[in-house]
Order: sequence, then structure tokens, then C-alpha cells
Amino acid sequence: MDFELSDEQKDIQKAAREFAQGEFDPDLALELDQAGRFPESIWKKTAKLGFIGIHYPEEFGGQGCGLFENLLVIEAFCRIDSGIGSALSTVDLGSEVILKFGSNEQKNQFLTPLTKGEKQLGIAFGESEDERDLTAISTIAEAQGDEYSLQGEKSFVLNASLVNAFLTLCKEPKEEWITLIVERERHGFEVQPVEKMGLRMVSFGNLLFKNARVSLGNRVGREGAGMTHAHYCHQVIGLRSAAQALGTAQGALDRAMQHARQREQFGKRLSQFQAIRHKLADMAVGVEVARWLTYKSATEYDQGKIDPGFLSVTQLEVKRRLVAIVDEALQIFGGYGYMAEQAIEHYFRDAWAIGVELGTEEEQKDVIAEIML
Amino acid sequence: MFFEFNEQQKEFQKRVREIYEREVSPLVEEYERKEAFPIQLYPILGAEHLLCQRCPKEYGGPGSDKMTECITVEELNRICVGIGASVMVHGGLATDPILHFGSEELKLRYLSPAVRGEKIGAFALTEPNAGSDASGIQTTAVKHGNTYRLNGTKTFITNGTICDFVSVAAYTDPSKRGTGINLFVVERGDPGFSVIKKLKKLGNHSADTAELAFDDCDVPKERMLGEQEGGGLAQLEGTLKSGRLTYGARSTGVGQAAFEATLFYVKGTLRQGQLLARSQAIRFVLAEMAMSLEAMRYMTYRGAWLFDQGLATMKDASVVKLFCSETVQGIVQKAMAIQKNAGLRVDNPVQRFLRDGRLSKIPEGTSEIQHLVIASGLGL
Repeated sequence: MDFELSDEQKDIQKAAREFAQGEFDPDLALELDQAGRFPESIWKKTAKLGFIGIHYPEEFGGQGCGLFENLLVIEAFCRIDSGIGSALSTVDLGSEVILKFGSNEQKNQFLTPLTKGEKQLGIAFGESEDERDLTAISTIAEAQGDEYSLQGEKSFVLNASLVNAFLTLCKEPKEEWITLIVERERHGFEVQPVEKMGLRMVSFGNLLFKNARVSLGNRVGREGAGMTHAHYCHQVIGLRSAAQALGTAQGALDRAMQHARQREQFGKRLSQFQAIRHKLADMAVGVEVARWLTYKSATEYDQGKIDPGFLSVTQLEVKRRLVAIVDEALQIFGGYGYMAEQAIEHYFRDAWAIGVELGTEEEQKDVIAEIML
Repeated sequence: MFFEFNEQQKEFQKRVREIYEREVSPLVEEYERKEAFPIQLYPILGAEHLLCQRCPKEYGGPGSDKMTECITVEELNRICVGIGASVMVHGGLATDPILHFGSEELKLRYLSPAVRGEKIGAFALTEPNAGSDASGIQTTAVKHGNTYRLNGTKTFITNGTICDFVSVAAYTDPSKRGTGINLFVVERGDPGFSVIKKLKKLGNHSADTAELAFDDCDVPKERMLGEQEGGGLAQLEGTLKSGRLTYGARSTGVGQAAFEATLFYVKGTLRQGQLLARSQAIRFVLAEMAMSLEAMRYMTYRGAWLFDQGLATMKDASVVKLFCSETVQGIVQKAMAIQKNAGLRVDNPVQRFLRDGRLSKIPEGTSEIQHLVIASGLGL
């Protein structure tokens, strides 16, 4: 067991933190959040510095690192701003499926542009309010000549108004699950944006496929593997969301500490009141718990041995800690915390949006119990 | 001991629910989106005798008791917490001190129109550097002949941009920390009074919240509450006690709304092929929500009853506020947590209940302040 980051990992963490501190202007963050706008110019710079796809092999534009390093970057970004950090970690959703199951041609075509900040990739799996409920999927892809024709509707697709290609789960007429990479520029394709309360820089969208065309070459892996892909993708997203949660929790704690050190009431700094000191101590405990659960899960992923039970433990506990930490941070800010001028206000909302990606308490307990019993 | 509303109270509850559903519900989404208060409501609520409810009949008020007021507050906050914030401040901190400490002239000038919804009131105590520690305010009122000259900045002021008058706390004698404070009624048109900015918030979007400036704002000495200088914070004791009980009803109202939304949701949502309402874990969640609501309701109405008997201490009021504002967090958080992606949609009220309900732990004494009050009430 080694609980120390390597020198290379520390360098990556430091570079990501310094980049975020330099680029994530707090006023800009508030403005983008209120307007529900994606941080376009920061995204381009992020890619230029090699942060996007850091875990892809070098031949596809990456840095050849593991997912662990990707999570370090996400954590560092979300620590500086939960909204911008999360938006930047949502530009390549589903890329790990192409990495693991796609052809070299698909990796060249779809992954390399992500690392350059030219394109964004998203996932379109679910068709109900629960993106992980794959029992209710009815999108049909029918092969016609050298193309598939898609009919159906996907809901709550993240970043749908910006993404250039969607990893889409569908069924063939003979009921085989397949994953197709649906490109936006193909016709027969429509996006209906949906405004949301948290992580507002990344919108939701409903995708409508009306005889949408997808070339046969855009099928990932073999027929019948679609469920495996979706399952794998959700595991990776669970890990990435845990890193977002960790960074957001740490960022909330940082801000609460700073406020407690500065704010005086009753002739004392808040940081001198025992009740406040203990709140901050509790929050620090939560951040440590979230950090080590996330790091262990990420390490196992990179070693090729995901333990689904432990991943559920991670997601469940990280979410609990995140919600509690952000809530307490807001409380330490008092009235100021409730005002949008303070970043903690959007940290609170963003925490709930990140929490959705970590799954509900009930579903994670179902998984854990199923494995235990 | 008698734990039921009497017939008159039940009838009243039914009537106010109908009024709010008819008059307030249709406005909620629009004004939440606009982040503005629907001021057209004031005369309507005035005509229904639902403003400044504890104001006696001689000044045009319904002269209701605290219990009746809490019924109203719970019902209004079940519909909209932001709108409820405006009405609460108007009928509480903005006008209650005028009723108890104002001259006959002030009562006629501000209270009677406020009861009818013709004038909107606000209350300004909190400052950028003085929140929980109210004696730390820096606003001053210096006497010049027949006027007091006010200077200072007030923040987080509900009804700040829409008020016709505002009760402002200022030091008449800054050398007497905590006791040298008085309340003054400032009118919207008084020279030197201005709105610095309207504030954007996590929730309570349909409540108007602002930062206010008093810059050489001259106020006739007759608009000071009370006969002599000093003792302004003590004048607020009764109103704060009452307000903390009101917060119990406010929390109960939004908790009830979140509970009803969750009940509806689990009965109509299939997940992994199963109706949520059939899941044992989800049934437990609903059971706990219902249990919490009952406890909040009993705490609130018992507190109101004590208040009406003249028996409620500040500790009693703080117990109600702390318990209800903390307990409602569990309800609104769980309502949100069950819903997954759908909960995040801005047009889904559960996310509003979460944002709105979150406020309860902050105003009129944060949860931390309530702990302090209760602990000292225990003789510690």
C-alpha cells in the first residue's frame, strides 16, 4: 500500500491547480452560472495545455496517464470552481468506452479532436428521468445500406446543445443492444434544451432521432455489447463524479475556512468559536473520507480490477459527505452564503447536480447489499 | 391538554388554503423566474385580512392570535416560501414594533395602510459587518434639532426595493453598545435613503432582497419608536420571539409541500420496472417525512399556544425555530435526492423547495444563535 502521490502526479495536480487559479475568474464563474453558458474560451486553453484526455494514449492525443490522473485534474478544477471545473470534465463523456471497445479508426476520429479542444463527446443512454434505468429503452437502429437509421428519444443528455457526437445506446430490430456514435451534423436529429438548477454551465437536452442517419462504421464494438458499454461508462462516470464531488467539497471547505478566519462577530473571529471550529473539523473529516474512497476506486480502475461493491460504497459515501459539507459551508457564511455573490451559493446547487451522477442512496445500497448477501 | 384545532380554526385553515391556491399559486412560477415580488398581491391579501394578522381591530387589523397567524403562515409557505418571506416581514418586524412602541400618529400613518396592503413595510437591522451580533451595527442616528440624521448601510433587507417604509435600527448613542439603539421609520421618498442593489439569492426568488443606504437621511424625531433614546434592541424581543415561532410554521409549510410532491412522485414513477412506492426503502423515507412533519407541527402550534397564553420564553421560541428549520432540511433534501435528473429541472418545484427551505437555518437567528439562546435559557 502506498498512499503518497508520485512526483509526476503531484506535478499534474499542481499544474491543474495553478491553471484553474489563473483562469477561473470568480466573477466570470458567477456570470456563466447565471447565464447558463459553457466556458468556451477556458475549455480551449484547457485542451491546449493537455488536460483533456490526459488518460488517453499519446497516439490519440493524450498523455498516456491513467484515469487517476484525470481525476486529479477534475478534483483540482472543481476545487477552484465547481461549475467551471465540472463543465470542463463533461466535454469527453463516453470517451473511455471508445478507448476500451472502439477501433483505432474511431479513436483517431473521435478522441483526438477532444484532446485538441475542437470537439466534444457526450453520452445518450437513458430515456427516462433515470439515466441508468436501461429497462425502458426503445430507441431503434435499423441498418439500411451502409447506414443505420435511428428512431427514438433520449432524455437528460448532458451538454446536449454543444456536443458534436453522442455515444448512443439503441436496439437493433432483432433486439440486440448496440452502441452507435451519432454525429450532430447528420440530419434527422434534434435537440431540445432543458434548463437545470445546478451545474448550469452544462445544460440538459432531450435528443430526438427522426430517421437520423449513422454510418455503419460508427458502431462501437460488436452487436449485443451495448449494455456492457453503458455499464462500463456509468462506472467511469461514477468515478469522475466522485472526483468532482471531492473537489467541490474541498473547495467549499477552503472557502468556509477563509470566511471563518476573516469574519468577526461578538468581537471574535468565527474561527475562534468552538462550534464553528468543530464544524470545520467535521468537514475536513468528510473531505478525507471522500478523497481516500475516490483514490482507492480510481487506483483499482487503473489496475483493471473494478470492484462494483466498493465503487458503490464510494459513490454513496462521497455524495453524503458532499451534501453535508456544502450545506455546512453555506451555514458558516450565514446570510452571505445564501447570496449568489458568494461562490458557495452555486457550490450548493452544483453539489446536488453532481450528486445525481453519483446515484441515489437506495440504488447504491441495493448494489452493496446484493454483493454482500 | 387539547391537541386539535377547534372548528373555527379548521374552517379558517380551509379558507386560507383556498385563498392562497386561488390568488398566489398562479403567480409563483412567473415571479420566481423574474426574481421579483408580485406587489399586486398586497391589496388582495389586505382585503382578505391576511396581512399584519395580530394587529388589533382599532387599527384595522383582524386582531388574530399567534395560533391563527401560524396557520396562515404554514399555508402560504406551502405554496411559496419567497412570497411568504415578504408577508412575514411586513406583518412582523416591519410593523410589530410600531404597534407596540409607536405613537398613535405612527400607528395610523403606517400600521393601518399596512394592514390594508396599501403600504409595504420592511425592517432593517442587519449590516454587512453585523449579522448574528446585532449590537455590532454601525448605523448612527444623530440628533439635529427636530430631526435625526441617519448614516449607514443595511443588507439582506426583505422588501428592500418595494417597501414604502422601513423600520431602521441605528445607534443614537454609540457609546452604549447594545443598549444605545433606536428604531426609526424611514419612508421611501426620504432624501438620503436609497437602494444600493437588489440581491440575487439561492432561493426565495420571489422575495425582494436588497442592500440599502442611509446617507445623511434626515428623519423627523416623531418617527423614532419609543419616548426616549436607547432600548431599541429590547423593543425587538417580543417580535423576535414571535418571528421564531413563525419560522416554525414557515418550515412546516415548505416541508409539507415537499412531502406532497414526493408522495405524488413515488406513486407515479417506475424505476427498473418497479413503482417507487412499492420499494420498502422509499416507503420508509415517506414514513420518516410524515413523522418529521407531525413533530414540526406540534412544536410550532404548541409554541404558538404558549405565546398566546403569555407563557412563551425566548428559549421556547428558539427551540421551535431550531427544531423546525433543521428538521425541514431532511425533508427537502430527501425529496430532491429521490428524484434523480428530473429533480434538477428548473420547472420542477422540488428543487425550489430545497433552495427555499435551506433559508430557514439563517434568518432571525441562525441555528448557531438558537443553540446559544437555548443553552443560556437552561441557566448555563
